[in-house]
Amino acid sequence: MESLQLLLDGFGVACQPMNLVLAFAGCLMGTLIGVLPGIGPAAGTAMLIPVTVGMNPTGAIIMLASIFYGAMYGGTITSVLINTPGEAASAITCLDGYQMARQGRAGSALAIAAIGSFIGGTITTMGLVLVALPLTRFALRFGPPEFFSLMLVGLSLVTGLAGRSLVRALLSAVLGLLIAQVGIDLVMGAPRFTFGRMELLDGFGIVPVVMGVFGIGEILINAESLSHGVLNTKMRSILPTRKDLKDSALPIARGTVVGFLLGLIPGVGAIIPTFVSYAMEKRMSKTPERFGTGMIEGVAGPETANNAYANASLIPLFTLGIPGSPTTAILMGALMMNGIIPGPSLFQENGQLVWAVIASLYIGNAILLILNLPLIPMWVALLKIPFSIMTVLIFVFCVIGAYSLSNSAFDIGVMLGFGLLGYAFRKLDIPLAPMILTMILGPLMERGLRQSLEMSNGHASILFTRPLSGTLLVIALVIIATSTFRAFSAVKGETEV
Amino acid sequence: MNMNRTYKIAGTVFLVLAAFIAWESLELKFYTNNGPGPGFFPFWLSMALALLAGLMIFQATFREPEPMPEGFFASRAGYLRAGAIVTALAVTTAFLDIVGFPLIMLATILFLLFALGRPGMIVTLLVSAAGSFGCFYLFDRWLKVPLPTGFFGF
Repeated sequence: MESLQLLLDGFGVACQPMNLVLAFAGCLMGTLIGVLPGIGPAAGTAMLIPVTVGMNPTGAIIMLASIFYGAMYGGTITSVLINTPGEAASAITCLDGYQMARQGRAGSALAIAAIGSFIGGTITTMGLVLVALPLTRFALRFGPPEFFSLMLVGLSLVTGLAGRSLVRALLSAVLGLLIAQVGIDLVMGAPRFTFGRMELLDGFGIVPVVMGVFGIGEILINAESLSHGVLNTKMRSILPTRKDLKDSALPIARGTVVGFLLGLIPGVGAIIPTFVSYAMEKRMSKTPERFGTGMIEGVAGPETANNAYANASLIPLFTLGIPGSPTTAILMGALMMNGIIPGPSLFQENGQLVWAVIASLYIGNAILLILNLPLIPMWVALLKIPFSIMTVLIFVFCVIGAYSLSNSAFDIGVMLGFGLLGYAFRKLDIPLAPMILTMILGPLMERGLRQSLEMSNGHASILFTRPLSGTLLVIALVIIATSTFRAFSAVKGETEV
Repeated sequence: MNMNRTYKIAGTVFLVLAAFIAWESLELKFYTNNGPGPGFFPFWLSMALALLAGLMIFQATFREPEPMPEGFFASRAGYLRAGAIVTALAVTTAFLDIVGFPLIMLATILFLLFALGRPGMIVTLLVSAAGSFGCFYLFDRWLKVPLPTGFFGF
């Protein structure tokens, strides 16, 4: 009941005219950025952070959250219309969504994706409301050792982001931790790896890094191959039929559950829920052989799971301070820029803001539904913009986004450097998400460990002897052991084949 | 050339990087009376990087050769397009504060449009004006996001 009362108070703030305008603008810009092929939600959200400069923190975070889930939906549009996922989580939607588009049913696919996203997002936000306070109260019992162990759990889950190789995923994660070492050491104040550059004393900013690896890296790959999809589909109607709605009802329900449960686990990433949902729908279907030929269930389930995951991933972010994906890492960075530290104390210190943001999630989901159905033709028109113009627009936004955070051209250079790194990692099939997550979690983990050791006069046993910390360490070890075992099994399987 | 060789080269680069980081971190205080110093974390992370780089080289040496994925090497035109974007960003980084946002953007947008596709005179002019002076007024004057003006004062 307490949560519901706080949520109602949050609605009071979120429904203020200016905040409604910001939520609307955020959804619109987020969808727009999601529609642009090559710019995923992480880089898109990072690019649009400057727009929120000068706003009050509540308005800024409401807008960024709206941009975040607007971008998540925007990625679906390109998957359906040009067979190019705007972000990895929408990749599975290409299978049936694009086939539907080729049959002239693009409108149905996009409408069902919007409806599923709305339902999944709304229900999981209710989960956030119910879980947030109890989880926060539990986490408030955490001291530095527990916090270190919790961060280790978060890092161990990075192994879940491994693509084809666990070694390459871990390598990416370690590089992220090393990148986070640059700057002033938080405990003793000594500069590390700054090489005499004043700009590096604060370390690398998360925004130029994310825009570099995801935005510039992707642009370089696209420029190299000119792999800009061309719209060659026609739409008969933007409204789904009664049969489409009936066929989608259960996949939407199942997608909501899958997205919510997996969103609670940091590090799972947005791709897994969509693939799990697709696999589940295929398994439960009476005609599994028709998946991949334009089955609406193949769009409804994954797209719902995608949005349900996006909303549920805010639970570990808000309550434990663990970002579950690069995009939530950006959101975490934006919160920190506004002086708000996500974690157990967030609900105590910035309760009004957090509940307003949670209330705005409901409003944002409704805006997305209302906005996207009538605007589908406009998004379609956007996809006809030539590659050169699209690249130039992204280029300009990236420059503004990187420069404006600390009014320094140096950050544009940082973005370029990480863009080249992102390009190389794509070529080498090294996953990028672990690097971004560890870059955010690394300093928190280091501070937790060093404070713990100060508490115990240098005895590491403090991490094992405290029950909660010990339990979390065991969980981390089990996760690492399981992932390693799975990786070795896969290698063995490959060798036997 | 196959991917195994590429991974061996990449692994060697990571190994050199790990050695450099280990060397640099040993210059920092490793341990204090109260626990780990500033050099502790980077040192052990560099060791982890070295281990993983070694594993990468080991796997690439003893595994079945993995063929190069399609599109690993681009055409000459592809590299030139990607190079144009890198050049535009490098020039922007070097001259943004001196020349100012509108002018450097005007120059780089014209260069990029020429290098990437040449969409026609009117479109080129419209896009370059919108991306430079248009964006400057939108962000700097309207959204109050300060952008550099350079020695021309705009």
